Parts: sequence; structure tokens; C-alpha cells
Amino acid sequence: MNARTDFAAVGQGAPRRALSRIDPALVSIVLAAAILWFAPVGMGRYGTYVLTLWLVMAIAVMGLNLTLGVAGLKSLAQAAFMGIGAYTVGILTAKAGMSWYPAFAIATLATFAMGIVVGFPALRVRAHYLAFVTLAFTSLVWLVLRNEEWLTGGTFGLSNIPRPTLFGARLDDALSFHRFVVVVTMILTLAIWWLLRSPWGRAFLALRENPVRAASLGVDVRAYTLLAFAIGSAYGGMAGALYAPLVEFIDPSPFAISASFFLLLMVVAGGSGYLFGPFVGALLGVVLPEWLRFTGGLYLIIFAAIVLLLLIACPKGVLGLAEMLWARAARLVRRTP
Amino acid sequence: MRTWIIGGALAALALGSPVLAQDKVKLINVSELSGAGATAGTNWKNGIDLAVAEINAKGGILGRQIEIVHYDTQTNPANTRAAVQRAIDEGTYAVLGPVFSGPIGASMQIAQRAEIAQLVGGEAANLTAQNNPYIFRTSLSQTAAMPKLAKALANDVKAKTVSVVWVNNDFGKGGRDAINAELAKVGIKVAADISTEQGQADFAADAIKVKNANADAVFVYLNEEESARFLRAARQQGIDKPIWGETTLLGAKVIELAGDAANGVKGHVGLSVDAPVPGLKDFGRKFREKFNYASDHNGIKGYNAVYMIKWATEKQKKFDKKGLADTLRGATIKVSEEPGILMDTVVLKNGDLDRESFLAEVKAGKQEIVAVLPPVGP
Repeated sequence: MNARTDFAAVGQGAPRRALSRIDPALVSIVLAAAILWFAPVGMGRYGTYVLTLWLVMAIAVMGLNLTLGVAGLKSLAQAAFMGIGAYTVGILTAKAGMSWYPAFAIATLATFAMGIVVGFPALRVRAHYLAFVTLAFTSLVWLVLRNEEWLTGGTFGLSNIPRPTLFGARLDDALSFHRFVVVVTMILTLAIWWLLRSPWGRAFLALRENPVRAASLGVDVRAYTLLAFAIGSAYGGMAGALYAPLVEFIDPSPFAISASFFLLLMVVAGGSGYLFGPFVGALLGVVLPEWLRFTGGLYLIIFAAIVLLLLIACPKGVLGLAEMLWARAARLVRRTP
Repeated sequence: MRTWIIGGALAALALGSPVLAQDKVKLINVSELSGAGATAGTNWKNGIDLAVAEINAKGGILGRQIEIVHYDTQTNPANTRAAVQRAIDEGTYAVLGPVFSGPIGASMQIAQRAEIAQLVGGEAANLTAQNNPYIFRTSLSQTAAMPKLAKALANDVKAKTVSVVWVNNDFGKGGRDAINAELAKVGIKVAADISTEQGQADFAADAIKVKNANADAVFVYLNEEESARFLRAARQQGIDKPIWGETTLLGAKVIELAGDAANGVKGHVGLSVDAPVPGLKDFGRKFREKFNYASDHNGIKGYNAVYMIKWATEKQKKFDKKGLADTLRGATIKVSEEPGILMDTVVLKNGDLDRESFLAEVKAGKQEIVAVLPPVGP
């Protein structure tokens, strides 16, 4: 729980204090990456695949967490950005024969640029009106993916998407690719950790808490709104760029509106605005249904019931509940003579 | 007391014995039990369950009982891949499913890498065009069915123009591409090419487009519920031109949902419990008794898949995963050898099937077979 990193708390320490002591969040990120590096040993290819899928989805949720949880912009376009990233990599690697790395860079830049474009409505509309605008964008992207068969393969999708190579070594087997994804996820999590400790992170928070006050304090609301959208979208794109070689096949269905809602659910269930919320949320969304398979035909009903009860019991998500329990325990300890 | 101890020791020995594990063969079905493909996937699963129960009751395959496990794909490619990977990790003898083409596309490389036969319910043409020697269909592909339909439209209906109504998913788009190509070959012009959405509720606008196109016939290629909705809308708009379709349009579910609107609909049927084939009729009766509803073609496919595995295993006389695929490829399975196959079936080298099929018509709320069409191959 010492990795409890409410973004409001991040960056409160003065620079000297931050240097003088190691941030628990940073330690947690590196430690978690080390554990995940070795976690699949003895798990089999299925367990490794599910772990990798969890990390990929966590990257997408991290992006949405930045847009929604930190900057307070209710976006339902994250699945579309994931789709753009996945298709960019799928088309460039499987059809054009490009290496994964430049394709990944292009996917990131493309989704960053698209994020800025989609972010413009966010300057004029907020709350559920913004959700509607982004919903329309998701529908539009899905229709392009499905109907432009000459480019995207349409409803038949794109098959045989190659996995990246690293220093000439192929990452085709489940464990190698998992470790590759662990490293990418660690880098991207560290980037978010750094971003939120920077003045940018505090500007995003100000935007969420009170845009008018933020503007009065000199925060460029327009620039930071667009930036929050663009970075969040780029994370969606990067997640898609990893999803395509993971599944080795893409079709439009995983990037439809329902997927955007599911990603939103992961942000909220994990704990909106918490650094590690996306990992908990993605754990609930990706790994929990797989764990529940032992219950047979009832597994999706049980999954839905768990999520429902969870959100009733802790509207601030799992990490919100954990933080509350931590605070209570701390108070109890203080009171004890 | 001593008897109890000996009995207990024997029971423990029997439980711990590897012989018990040898007595079973594990088959894992990965199909669409939730999401958009739930109707098709559930029928497929029930067909499998029926076949497994029958085979186990008769002593299993080569003396081993089948242990069947079902995993849901949620009709999602990433989840399908996870489930197929899990099936292979858990040592399935062969992979059964999925039924929808997208999830099949996402999972077929894994079975191929593991050199395990995957028997699928998909009909999209591209599935067997990827040089994957481990994929096997359980029904005719769209490319096998559509030439028969185009010929019927040209020769029986004498149509010069046809309106094509299709659902814009991998199933519908594949069918639309295949029928349009075949219609062109027999000199029929497509008067209206109408794309509809999966899950679409209102087909009034599409029916009006069909009516305005005034083609000699209408070809409908939609999923079950949508087929029924379109037929109702077409009748409401007073469309009196012949309405033709492929398997789904004449399925039990569509007839039930469309009611009188289904009467007069004609088409090609790959697998039907109403076909004048004793095995199919018998299957239809047993399925209804067990599940209390009429099976569609997906139920027959699931049933066939298990019997294809049984036949090939008995043919190779051992449980060899790779050998199973090798035995199935290019095989001719006759009902006289394996009654559970229901109709004589040729498995082509690429995993496609060839066998008889039927021309059918819906009369008074029932599907009636009007002609038996021979296999495409010699």
C-alpha cells in the first residue's frame, strides 16, 4: 500500500526531498517489472498470454486514466485509438513488411496527432457532451476499419501479423514476447510517473479540479487539455501497437464502442486517478474472467456481479477503497497509546 | 476391518493409477457461448455434447471415454486466442471450434504451431486458403455453396437480375463476395447490393430499396434474427418476387421468428435436420429430445466434428494428435463406416468439405427439401 500514489499526492514533495528519498511508486514499478519478468515461469503459454494481454490492456487504461482520471476529460474514444494503433502496426508490418519499431513510432505519433484533433471538441464541450463526441469518433473509426477493405481487410481482418525482433532474435514465443511487453510497459509506466511529478502533471490535476481557477493561475487550459488528450490517446495507440503482434490477428470487433466502455470500466474499477489503478482495473477486466472460468457457464454472470458489488462498495475503485482502509488503519494506530 | 483396509488401498491405487488417465481422451471446445455469436456457438456446443454422450455410452473411442470441456470465447478474437492456447496447454486431443470466422482467424495459427487438428464451424471462404494443414471445416464453405445457388437462380427462377441483401460482418461479406462472383459467371446482374448491420432491428428501409430495385429475385444472406426481421419487413412492403437464401435463411430459428413471412422462401441448405437423409432426421429427433428445441446447422456441425475425430482415430488406431490431422486430410468418410457422420463426406486437402446438399422451400411454416444436389467433386 505504500505504493499508494494518488496523483494529488504525487509531486507534493519539494525537489530536494524527492531526491533525498526514493519514491515508493518508483520502487514498486521496478519491483513489479522484475516480478513480471519471471512470473510466467511454469505458467504455460496460456498463463503467459493472459499476463501479456493484461499488461497491454493496462497501457490502454493508463492512457484513459490520464485523460479521465487526471485531467477529468470523459473520453469514450480509447478503443478507437487502440484500433488506430493496432491497424497502423498491422498494415505496416504484415502488408508493407516494415519492422515493428518504426511502425510502433508511427502508430504513437499518429494517435498523438489524432488525439490533438479529437481534443479540440473538449475545449468547447465537457462532461457527458464530450463523451458523446468521442463516442461518435469511435463509431467513425470502427466504420472505417470495417468498410475500407482494401486497406484494413474489412470484416475479415488482418492475419499473420509478425512479432518484433530484438537484436536479430525473434520474439515469436510467448515468454520472449511477454518479457518484451514487460519492458515496454515499465518504460511507459515510468514515463507517466515522471509526467505526473512534473509541473505538467500538476497542471492536469488543476484542470480536473477547477479549470477556471487553473486558468486564473496561468495554466494554459487549451494547451493542457489538448496535451492530456493527445498523451492519453498515444498510450491507446501504443497498446494497440502491442495488441496486434500479441494476437497476430486483428479485426474491427475489439475496437468497437463496447470496448471503449469496457476500458472506462477498468479505469473506474481500478481507481480513477491512481497511478496503479489501470493495472488493478485491467486485472479485473482481463484476468478475473479467465480465473472465473472454473465456474463453467456462470462465469460472466459472476464476473458482472463482482464488478457491480465492487463499484457499489467502493465507488472510487479498488485503490480508492484500499486508500480509505489504509487511512483508517493509520488513524487507529495513532489513537492507540 | 481388514476388508475395509484392502478395499481402501485398492481404491487409492486405482485413483492414483495412470491407467485411469489413459481411460479418457480430453477434447476441448472453444466456442461463442456469449456475445454476438452466442446462438451459433451454443448450438455447436449442444451438438458436441450430444455426440460425446452417444460415443461414451457406446464405450468411447478405442475404449477411451471422451472428457469434454467447453470454453467461451465471448466472440472476441483475443479471448478466443487465450482459450485455444489454454486448450492446447491442457492437452486437448483436438481443438473444436470456434464457429465465427474472425475468432477462427485469431486462433488457427496456434493450433497449427502445436500441430493439432482444429475442427471449426466457420464457412468464410478465406479460412482454408491460408495453407494451414491443421484446419478442417465441418460444413460446406461459401465457395462450395454459392455456385449451386447461382445455377438454381439462373435455371429454376430464370432470373436476369437479383437484389442481394447481406449483413456486413465476416460471414455476410464473404457470402456476398462469393454470390456476386457466381452470379456474374451465370450472367445475372446485381440490381441492388444492400449492406445491413449485425443486430439491425428495422429493415423497412432495406425492404423499400429491394422493392424499388424490382429485380427478378432477392438473395438474402443475414444472421438468424436479422433474416427473420428482413422477411417480415419484405412481406410488409409487399415484395412478391422469389426470395432465396443459403442455409441460415431457411433455418428452424428463422422460420419460428418470421412466422408466415417465411413461407415461400427458397434456398440452398448445406445441413438441415429436415433433409430426406435418415441420419440427419435421426439426429434432429435426438437433439430435440435432449435439448427441447430444433437444432440448426451449427448443431449438426458440432455433432459432425466429434464423429470426424472418432472416425480418424479409429482409422489410425491410436491417439496421435498430428496423425489425426494427417488422417483427416483427403479422407472420404462414409456413413456405412461411421453412421455419426450423417452424410458421406469428402475432406479435401485444404480442409474444405464436399458432400451432397439440398434445395429447400419453406411451406406452411416447415422447411421442405425439394431437390438433392450432388457433391461438387467427382
